[in-house]
Amino acid sequence: MAELFYRSLDASMIFVIAALAELIGQRSGILNVGIEGVMLFGATLGFIAAQTTGDYMIGFLVAMAIGGAIGLLHGLFSIKLGGDQVVSGMGIWILGFGLTTYIGNPYTGPLGMDRIPKIGGLSPFFYIGIALIIVVWFVLQKTSLGLKIRSVGENPAVAEVSGINVSKIRFLCVTVSGVLMGLAGGIYALDYNPVWSYNFIMGWGFIALALVFFSMWNPVILLGGSVLFGALWQFALNPQFVLPGIMSRYLWRMVPFVITILVLLVISTKWFKTKWGAAKPEALGLPYKKE
Amino acid sequence: MKIGSYELKLEKREHLTRLKATLISTFSIICALLLFSLIFVNAGISPITGFQEIFSFAFANRHGLPLTINRSIFILLCTSAFIIPFRAGLWNIGMAGQMYAGALGAFAVLYAFGARVDPGMYISPFIGIPLMMLASGIAGGVIGAIAGYIKGRFNVNEIVITMMINFIAFWLVSFMIKEGGPFMNPVGRSESFDLPVSLRAPLVMGVPFTLIVALLISFTLHWVFSKTRIGYQIKAYGLNPAAAKYAGMNPFKITLMVFAAGGAIAGLAAYHMFAAVPGVYKIARNYVDFGDLTFYGIISGLIANGNPLAAIPIVLLFGGLTNGGRFAQGRLEMGFGVDFALLGIMMITMVAFQFFYRYKIVWIKPNKEIPDGRVIL
Amino acid sequence: MSLDTLMRGDSVLEARGITKRFPGVLANDAINFNIKVGEIHAVLGENGAGKTTLMNILFGMYQPDEGELFFNGKKVDFKSPLDAIKLGIGMVHQKRKLITAHNVIENIILGHPLAGTILNINRAKEDVSKLSEQYGFKIDLMAKVWQLSEGQKQSVEIIKALYRGAKVLILDEPTSALSPPETKSLLASIKSMSNSNLAVVPFITHKLPIVLAISDTVTVLRRGKVTAHFETKGATEKSLARSMVGRDVINDLERVQVGRGKPILQVNTLSARSEKGPLAFKGVSFTIHEGEIFGITGVSGNGQEELAEALAGLRKVVGGSVFLDGQDITNSSCLERWQKGVGYIPAERNDVGSIGDFSLTENVAMNYFYDDQYTTGGIIRYNELRTLTEDLISEYGVATPGPDTTAKSLSGGNLQKLILARVFARKPRLIIACLPTQGLDVGASEFVQNKLLQAKKDGAAILLISGDIEEALSLSDWVAPIYEGEFKDIFAGEDATLEIVGAWMAGVKPKVD
Repeated sequence: MAELFYRSLDASMIFVIAALAELIGQRSGILNVGIEGVMLFGATLGFIAAQTTGDYMIGFLVAMAIGGAIGLLHGLFSIKLGGDQVVSGMGIWILGFGLTTYIGNPYTGPLGMDRIPKIGGLSPFFYIGIALIIVVWFVLQKTSLGLKIRSVGENPAVAEVSGINVSKIRFLCVTVSGVLMGLAGGIYALDYNPVWSYNFIMGWGFIALALVFFSMWNPVILLGGSVLFGALWQFALNPQFVLPGIMSRYLWRMVPFVITILVLLVISTKWFKTKWGAAKPEALGLPYKKE
Repeated sequence: MKIGSYELKLEKREHLTRLKATLISTFSIICALLLFSLIFVNAGISPITGFQEIFSFAFANRHGLPLTINRSIFILLCTSAFIIPFRAGLWNIGMAGQMYAGALGAFAVLYAFGARVDPGMYISPFIGIPLMMLASGIAGGVIGAIAGYIKGRFNVNEIVITMMINFIAFWLVSFMIKEGGPFMNPVGRSESFDLPVSLRAPLVMGVPFTLIVALLISFTLHWVFSKTRIGYQIKAYGLNPAAAKYAGMNPFKITLMVFAAGGAIAGLAAYHMFAAVPGVYKIARNYVDFGDLTFYGIISGLIANGNPLAAIPIVLLFGGLTNGGRFAQGRLEMGFGVDFALLGIMMITMVAFQFFYRYKIVWIKPNKEIPDGRVIL
Repeated sequence: MSLDTLMRGDSVLEARGITKRFPGVLANDAINFNIKVGEIHAVLGENGAGKTTLMNILFGMYQPDEGELFFNGKKVDFKSPLDAIKLGIGMVHQKRKLITAHNVIENIILGHPLAGTILNINRAKEDVSKLSEQYGFKIDLMAKVWQLSEGQKQSVEIIKALYRGAKVLILDEPTSALSPPETKSLLASIKSMSNSNLAVVPFITHKLPIVLAISDTVTVLRRGKVTAHFETKGATEKSLARSMVGRDVINDLERVQVGRGKPILQVNTLSARSEKGPLAFKGVSFTIHEGEIFGITGVSGNGQEELAEALAGLRKVVGGSVFLDGQDITNSSCLERWQKGVGYIPAERNDVGSIGDFSLTENVAMNYFYDDQYTTGGIIRYNELRTLTEDLISEYGVATPGPDTTAKSLSGGNLQKLILARVFARKPRLIIACLPTQGLDVGASEFVQNKLLQAKKDGAAILLISGDIEEALSLSDWVAPIYEGEFKDIFAGEDATLEIVGAWMAGVKPKVD
C-alpha cells in the first residue's frame, strides 16, 4: 500500500511538470494542445539516448532539448506566423505520435539500466517538481518578468504599447514550456515506467491539459490536482488494493478519464465560477499581430 | 527580403480563391512526400523505389487496390465526421471513440440476435444490415452528442473532452472483446465474435456498398452547406459565433447537432471497417490501428479546408499511402510504423502550409514615386 | 535631455512641415505646430481632418513622409512609440489600453524601467500615490481595473504616462466617455499639470465648449492642413467652428412631429445581470409608442448596452416583464423576437452585426434565413436573397461592387448602411438602435439619423441608445438618462436640456432654477 502511495506521488510529479509547462505557455497566451506529442518526443528520444549512451543525464538532456525545439516550433507557427494554435498543437501531437512510433520501434522493450535511486522513498523528480511549482509561482506573481508574462497573456496590444516585446516573451515561455514537457516525458520513460512501447504516454499529455484548466491557472491548485490524478491513475491500475474483484481491469482503466470529464464539468458550472472565479488569460489562443 | 532589384514581402490575402487553395493544398502534400522520402533514405532505400512500391501496390495491384479503396472509404467517413463540427468552428478529435462506439453498437445488434453463441445462424441481410448500420450510427451519434452537449452546455474545451472519451471508449472495447468480455469470440482470441456469413456486406465491383454510402454522405454534406438553412447556420456560427447569436441562432443546438452528426458518421465508419470489409468481419484485435486511422480524417479535413467534396480525392491518396506504406514497410523490410511516420509528417507539413492560406508572397518592384492605390500601411 | 532647463514659454515639442500620405489621401499637409512648456494646446478637427495621423506621428506610431519633429529644440526621429515614451511624450488613447484583469498599480508599473526584477509593489504604491495626489486623482491602487468606471480608467492611464516621466501629455478625445462632473475633475487635473510645467495636448473632435474652457491655444485642422491657430482667449465657438468646417455648424436635423400611435413596447421593472454577477440594470420601466423615438443617454457602462441586449433577447432577465404589441416576450428567444417584429442594430457592426467572411447576400441572410418568403422547407433561396441584396445596396447607396463581395471589404459607414438596410427591410415594429453612429463620419452619421427619422415617420417605435448627448436630444421624443443601471427620470423631448440630462447622467440631481 505504501508502495502505491509513493508510486502515485511519482506519477503526480509528471503531471505537475507537464501541466506546469502548459500553464506557463497559457499564461503568456499560447495554447498548446499537443502536450502529448512533446512528451512522446522527450520520452522516446530521451529513452533512446540514455539506452545508447548508458547515461541517464544525457537521456534527460536530450529529452529537454527536443522538448524545447518542439516548443520553439510551436512558437514559430503560433507567434511568428500567427497561425491557429489549435491546429499547430494538433500537428505537434500527431507528428509526435506518428514519428516516435517509427523511430522508437527498434527500441521497444525495457530500458535495461539500473533504476534511478530514490530519495526518501520517492523519485528525485518529486522534489524537483515541488521546487518548480514554487519557482513558477514566485516568478509569475512576484517578479517583473512574471507581470510581463501575465500581461502578454491578457492583452498583448496593451503590453506592446507599454514597451514589452510580446513576441520575445511568448517565445521564451513557449520554449521553456517545451523544455519542461520534454522533461516530463523523459521522467516518464526513464524513471516512472522505463519500458518503451508505441504511444506509451497513454493520454497523460491530455490529462495535463485538462489539469491546467482545472487549476484555473494557479500553480498551487495545479499541485493539488496533479496529486489527485496521480493517485487516481495508480488506483485505476491496481483496483484490487482498494476494491478487489469488482470490475474488469479494463473498466478500471477508464476511471481516470471519466473523473477528468466530471471534474471539468464541475468547474465549468455557473455555481463554481461564481464561488471561485474564472481566471482565463484573456488573450489565450488568439494570435497577436503587431500593428 | 530583397532579391536583385525586387523586394519580397508577405501580404495578407484579401480573398482565397478555390484554385489557390487547391494549389496550396497540393504543394503541402508534395512537400510532405518529399520529407517522407527521408524515412526511406534513413532506411537505406532509394525514395524512388520506396514510392514506387507504395503506389504500385496501392493503386495498380489486384489485391492492393481494393484494400486502398476500403481504407479510403473509412477515411472519407471520418473526414466527413470531422468536417461537420469543423465548419462550426469546433474540433472533433473524438472520431476514434465514436468509431469504437459504432463498432460496439453494430455488434450489439448481432449479440441481441444471438449471433455470438450461434455463429452459423442465418439473419436476413435486409434486416441485419440496416439494423447494424442504424445501431452503429446511433451509438457513434450518442457518443458524439455527449461531447457536443458538454461543450454546448458547459463550454469545456472540446479537444480535452473528446480525447478523454477516446480513451474511455478504447478501454470499453477492450473490456467487451477481451478476457471473457460479452463480445469476445468463443474461441477466445482477444477479438470479437464473427459476423454471420449472411450479413457480409454486398460488394459493388469488388468493393463493399459502403463506398456508395460514403460518397452519398459527402455529396449530401456539400448540398447541406451550400443550400440549406441548417448548413447556413453552421457556417455562420463557425465564422462568427457572436453574430450568429445576434441573428437568433442557437449555439447549443448547433453544437449538439454537429457533434451528434459527426459521431454518427464516425460510427458508420466502424460498421464499414468491421462488418463490410472482406477479410475482417469482426472487431479485430488490432482495432486500435483503426482508431489511429481516424486521425487521417483530421488531416484530410484540414487539407480539404472543410470542403466535403475536395476530401474525396484526398482520402483516396491517403488510403493509398497508408496501405502502400504498410506494404512497402514489409516488402522493403523497414521498421514498423512507416505509415505512422507518414501521418506525422503529413500533419506537420499541413500545419506549416496553413500559413499560406492567409498570406501570400508578393514581389514588389521598388518605385521612387509613391504608387497610387498601393497599400503601404 | 533634461527638461528642467526649459522654462515656461520655451518650445518642448515642435512639428515643422509634417506631411504624410496614404493611398489616395493626403492625411497631413505641411503641418506646423509648436507646443510650449506648461501650455495646454488643443488640436481641433473633424473626423478625417488628419488629427489622428498627426497624433500618431507625434507619438512615434507613424513616421512622416516629409517634415521634422523637434523635442526640446533638438531634431528627433521616432522609430516607434517606445522612442517617444523614453523622451517624455505620453499618450492616452481614446480607447482604453489597460489590462482589466490586473489591478491599478500593476498596470501603472507594467513595462516601467524602474520596476525592478522583483517587484516592489509597496515602493511603487508610495511613489504613485504622491503623483496622483499632486494632480488631484483619487484612485484605489489595489482595485482591479475591470471594477473602475471609464473616467477612473482614464485617470489610471494618465497617471501611468506621468509615472513614466511624461513631460508632454497627448490626450485623444479625453472627455468623450466622461460624465459632466468627471469632465470637470479632469479639466482641473489638467490645469494643475499645466501649472507644474507639463504640456498637455488634447485632441478634440467637436466639443467646442471644452476647448474654450481649458486650453491656452488652439490649432485647427481641416483636410490635413492647419487652417487656424488661436489664442483661446480671443476665440469663440463660432470662430472655431468656422475654421473647422468652413461654414457655421448648426445641428441641422429636422425635428419630425408624428402623431403618437398605440404602445408597441412596454417594459415593466426590468432587471438583468452583467457578466460579472451584479445587476447591470434594475427596475427599468418605460413605454414606446408607434412613431416615437425613445432615447437613452448615459456614459458607456451604465447598463444601457445590457438593456438593449435584454430587449433583443440576448440576455436573460431576472425580474420584470417586456410586452411587444401586447404580447409577453419576456422569455422569448432571440429568434422569436426577430420573427415578432423586433429589429436590433448592435453597437459592434463588425464583431456582432455582420460576418466579415460572408458575402453581402449571406449577411442579409442573417435576418432572412428563417423567413418563409426566402426559404422552402429547409432550403434557402439564395437567388432571391441576392436580388433583395442588390435592391438594398442601391436603395441605401452602399458603395460596393456587388452583393457577392465580402462584408469585411466594406468601410464602416457602408457596413452600417447594409446592416440598417437589412434590419429595416423587415419593417420591424420595434427598432433597437445601439450606438448607431459610433465611429462614423459626419456624412454617414447624418444618413443613419435620417433613416431613423424615416422609420419613425413610417410608424416604428424606436429605442435609441446613444453615446452622444446632442444626437439623443435632437432625435428623441423622450429622453431617459441612465446611471448605474437605473433610469433617473424620463423627460419629454422639449423639456430635456443638456444641463439637466448631463447632470442625471452623472448621477447628480440637476439644480432647478
